[in-house]
Amino acid sequence: MQLQDKYRVAILSAYALALHGFESMLPTPIPWVRLGLANIITLVALVLYGFRTAMMVTLIRVILASIFTGTFLGPAFILSFGGGVFSTAAMGLVFISFKNLFGPVGLSLIGAFFHNIAQLTLAYFLFIQRLEAILIISPVILLIGTLTGVANGIVSDILIKNLLKKDEEKIQNVVQE
Amino acid sequence: MKEAIKNTTLADRLLLLFLIAGSIAGTFIAGKAMSQGLNVTVEIDGKPSYTFPINIDRTITVSGPYGDSVIEIKDKKVHIRETHCPNKLCVKQGWISNGAIVCLPNKIVVIVGGNGNNPPEDIDAITG
Repeated sequence: MQLQDKYRVAILSAYALALHGFESMLPTPIPWVRLGLANIITLVALVLYGFRTAMMVTLIRVILASIFTGTFLGPAFILSFGGGVFSTAAMGLVFISFKNLFGPVGLSLIGAFFHNIAQLTLAYFLFIQRLEAILIISPVILLIGTLTGVANGIVSDILIKNLLKKDEEKIQNVVQE
Repeated sequence: MKEAIKNTTLADRLLLLFLIAGSIAGTFIAGKAMSQGLNVTVEIDGKPSYTFPINIDRTITVSGPYGDSVIEIKDKKVHIRETHCPNKLCVKQGWISNGAIVCLPNKIVVIVGGNGNNPPEDIDAITG
């Protein structure tokens, strides 16, 4: 890994952690619903810098956030870790295999969907073990996940466009000089 | 914002529609599947004597000290259609889909509740 890549991962992880922390301070109307703001950073990393960077940023974010909040290796960490890794893997797979089929909004939806599927599955096997409870709650969680996924996708889209524009300006400046 | 919405591909929009439709349909399917789990329990003289699923229509006749009472299950609701006890409060209570009908003189209690074999249990906590 090159030095520049390391800087990139570090700064993206810092952004993701900040958003993760900010989000955990927001009051939520339903206890297990989260906005998933940190997924914006994962998505930007995936689209601009590739799958490896995105996965690294997700891993650093999930592990450091759990250490900061004191839930490392606890049940919340397992859910967060499983959801984060699975959704990043799903988004990466779709992004690499179908290059231009989905935009950031579609990728965000895929990420949100697989994040919830992973968490519900983990919650079933590790904690609840009541299929009816999971089945009743799943559609509601998936619906909310879809809505937050669209919002995150739109933000990611704007962010990606602006970052690309900045890169172009930089290149133009270099050429002009 | 407007630009971002315009930027979405056809696949994005189809995926969104599919997810929203799927999860809303899922809510109804799950709700329906759960309501089929409800049972009607008939207690005679304090002892649970019969259990029937509420989603199958039927008529049951049970006998108590004041003679026969006719219990009817129809359209996921229960009522006592006929009884021979003095004030017939249980018949006046009409159709219920939840809760209980108590017929004191005839010592019959009709209860609508969750699956008898595994009582409902609340989720302790989920965090993400």
